[in-house]
Amino acid sequence: MRNVGIISVGYNGRFVSKRKDVNIPEMVQAAVHNALAKTRLTLEDIDAFIEGNMATFEGVNYPNLWLSDHIGAVNKPLMRISTGGTTGMSAFHCAYYHVASGLYDTVMAIGWEKHDEGDAQVGLGGIVLPEIFTMFSFGPAMAGPGAGGTLTGGGSTGGASFQAMSYLAKCGGDVEHIDMIAAQARSNAAKNPYAHLQVPGCTKEDIAKTPMVSYPLRFGHTCPTSCGACVMILTTDRKAKKYADHVAWVKAVATGTSDATTGNLIDGQITDPADQVIATEVAKKAYAMAGITNPKKQIQVAEVYDGFAHQELMWPERLLLVDEGKAPKLLEKGALAIDGDMPVNPSGGVVSTNAIGASAMVRVAEAALQVMGLAEGGHQVPRKVRNAMAHGWGGLFQFVTVTIVGDTKRRA
Amino acid sequence: MVDIEKETRLVSDTWDLSLYKWKIEVDGQMLLLEGLKNKKILGRKCDKCGTVYVPGVTYCRKCFVDIEKVVEVGTEGEVATFTVNLADVRGNPLEVPQVICNIKLKGSDSWTMGNLVIDDWRRVKVGMPVRVHFRAETTGVLADLEYFEPI
Repeated sequence: MRNVGIISVGYNGRFVSKRKDVNIPEMVQAAVHNALAKTRLTLEDIDAFIEGNMATFEGVNYPNLWLSDHIGAVNKPLMRISTGGTTGMSAFHCAYYHVASGLYDTVMAIGWEKHDEGDAQVGLGGIVLPEIFTMFSFGPAMAGPGAGGTLTGGGSTGGASFQAMSYLAKCGGDVEHIDMIAAQARSNAAKNPYAHLQVPGCTKEDIAKTPMVSYPLRFGHTCPTSCGACVMILTTDRKAKKYADHVAWVKAVATGTSDATTGNLIDGQITDPADQVIATEVAKKAYAMAGITNPKKQIQVAEVYDGFAHQELMWPERLLLVDEGKAPKLLEKGALAIDGDMPVNPSGGVVSTNAIGASAMVRVAEAALQVMGLAEGGHQVPRKVRNAMAHGWGGLFQFVTVTIVGDTKRRA
Repeated sequence: MVDIEKETRLVSDTWDLSLYKWKIEVDGQMLLLEGLKNKKILGRKCDKCGTVYVPGVTYCRKCFVDIEKVVEVGTEGEVATFTVNLADVRGNPLEVPQVICNIKLKGSDSWTMGNLVIDDWRRVKVGMPVRVHFRAETTGVLADLEYFEPI
């Protein structure tokens, strides 16, 4: 397998709620231009394209068909990936496979979402509604004290609330810790010029004042719906220096899946949503591939998929970056801050910016920028970043992707 | 001019929701309903790994083998995790907040979902012991498992 380097990261601009001034191809094209401009590449040098976007979240199917000529993919391979929340990193992994295999030298991966064009709930409805719909034929309670409870956990926030309560019970943490980590995310986002919800100096009291969505999760613990695109360019170790001044080497990619339960009375909840055994397994695979034996010391920064704030505490534990049950204590000590021992989501994370098809790719992009030393606006980790971990989470709460990038090539 | 009467027609029939199966394992669901009729909770147990599923799925998620063995699990258990609805879908505060729980019934490895009826939602804790409250008259529908209550 060939060594693969990330030579460019491009955004279309700051992630925002609405981009009524551009259409989908125009928004994505801006990120393509931005990524190319940071290299000595022209579009002719790109051998293949991978596009990632959440299915039906814009209310349309196969928007990659419109993108082909706007991203310069005419007469070249263009493949679409859609794996839920992990979409962006799955697309990145696909681009990595293209280059590592030797089939293509230089590949562009694109992740995007334009939430102002549709409704994420329509897309989610298409996943969960079949279960609820079928359930009606088995006579669930429609009135009285049992009404509704057997049907569903209430969409993604409901499911995340179950995970949050189970996680807090396991680690001995408090809802206040979720307020604290959310406040850290919002203030980190204020140091990232591309982040959506930027709140300089956000406090846990600010978060605790926001409206409750589904106990214990409040509005302030929840990700926004963002518009934006992320583009990454990958190439071989032989071409990296020729094309760009900066390179972050891909040291490991790993992915896995657990069971597809959303939690309802039809399926039952087969695995505790806070266990996330698969995340630990995937992380172990990635560390082995990267030759990392002590992740707590050898990884200097992590970008995890925290659609909901409690996950920014849970994932570092499951990914073996901190000891199990210790994340809340480490947060109190400031260890998870940008200048801490294990900085988590200096970018502000998914909870501050969520253009879903881009989000998992942004984790790798931010990890790569940290390795290159190019994170803008004050969210660069102050100490030398040798290795950075990026993590994605998606599907029906079941897919996990991990990528490790570093400042040296992977040892074959 | 389009003559609506001639160009379209009304189909008089019922919309049979049971036509839709998608991923649902109807067998496990029917088993659950059969148990509920007799105020029992039935599931299936994998012979290979011993995992008990409620509802009783027909193949083991861990061993990828068919499961046939029917087992009865307890009607008591504990709160595995929960969330609380404090407002309706329009954001109006609910007079009685709705506590939605995942319950680990005694003898089951998977969790069962339902509402917990409790005087004060602030008292709900993970690990809290609860029991099933069946409807007075059970007929073999999901609503027979009316709600859970603290023990």
